[in-house]
Amino acid sequence: MAGQSDSNMSLFSPGEIEFMAGDELVEIVPNLRMDSLYFIRGDYGPFHPQLAAQVPLWLAVALKKRGKCTIRPPQWMSIDGRLLSPIFLIVFFVIFPPPGLENLAQVLELERDSHAFQPLPFHYLEISRLLFDHAREDIPDMYMVRSLTEDIRDVRFHKVETNLEKFTASTVTWKNMSAMEVNIIRAFAGRALQAFYKHDNEQQAPDTDRMLDKQPQIPTDRPKRNLKPR
Amino acid sequence: MANYYDIDSILVEEEFVPVVFQKAINGVKIDESTEKGHVEQGSKTELPFWLAHELNMRQAVSIGVPACFNQKTRLEIQADAACVDLRSRCPYFYEFGCKLAPLCDKSIGLLLAYAFRIRYKEVLHKAHTTGFAAASKFLTLLTKEESYMYEAAQSSMAAFKKWRMGGPRLQRASILGRKRKPAE
Repeated sequence: MAGQSDSNMSLFSPGEIEFMAGDELVEIVPNLRMDSLYFIRGDYGPFHPQLAAQVPLWLAVALKKRGKCTIRPPQWMSIDGRLLSPIFLIVFFVIFPPPGLENLAQVLELERDSHAFQPLPFHYLEISRLLFDHAREDIPDMYMVRSLTEDIRDVRFHKVETNLEKFTASTVTWKNMSAMEVNIIRAFAGRALQAFYKHDNEQQAPDTDRMLDKQPQIPTDRPKRNLKPR
Repeated sequence: MANYYDIDSILVEEEFVPVVFQKAINGVKIDESTEKGHVEQGSKTELPFWLAHELNMRQAVSIGVPACFNQKTRLEIQADAACVDLRSRCPYFYEFGCKLAPLCDKSIGLLLAYAFRIRYKEVLHKAHTTGFAAASKFLTLLTKEESYMYEAAQSSMAAFKKWRMGGPRLQRASILGRKRKPAE
């Protein structure tokens, strides 16, 4: 699969990445009654008022624009355990933070402390952008959430750059990079790796192909190669 | 990697290299000023790489080290590779070096790898941080390959920033929708 916006470089534009992020599932609370929707990717619904349903993000945004639902922001998109609103739950989760229930503030802390990338959804930038644009009132503490995601993005991108510095032609493994981060460095890193690869090979095994095209030029009277008997 | 129609890989071969003729050749003039219609053995001149390479294969000439890989440049690169103006010396520094290394001096390969590693970091830093105006001075130092890399990084960063800023960014202050502050 290659991007459509740039034909000769086969790169994705950020808009295309955002489009792909539209396939991520989110939970909505519809306020209309509607039968199931049958799509190639799967069936969604039926929708009943006040009953939560899982739909792709693009559908959620489309419904939201028409005022037919509220979007529940995904679990990771919270500044603390507040999504589970009753106060005793908060106290409970503060004392025993369950695994996988990390919130953005925590992620930011961890992101700053360690060299590795924290596990975040692959499309976290795009999802948060889509939700900030279209479902602002559904996100509790929207401004806080937004500034936290911006901070996380900055920290992570700085990390990407420091990682790029340590680049050599050997294998490169970075876990948990998100789609947009990969896409920003795709063109650059591709070229750089190619150059590194070329120069490293140059040292180890110089000019195999030059040797090959040299051979016919020099007249040699080598005996003919014996063909393998069948 | 080397595409047949790649204009850059054609232009690389246009770079001149110093050669020494190993054979006397008749019917050839190296330059117009000479009266003689032949080239003597041991005479020196500069030929484009594609020609020098062909002649070298037939053992007619031996290829020397061109100016962009001479001792002076090497010392400069060892001192601070990032600041060396490689573009004015040879815009296809790396590609040319790769083609040349097996023919005249194997140590060019090491030099290239070293120079690239240092300069790569510089390109990386500049590409993602500096604004366009500040970068133009730096850009004049880069070879073709490096400036392609720089542009690739810049354009994808610019596209990302545009995406982040664009679209419906208009915000409505939460206070506007309400009649008055709810009692808390």
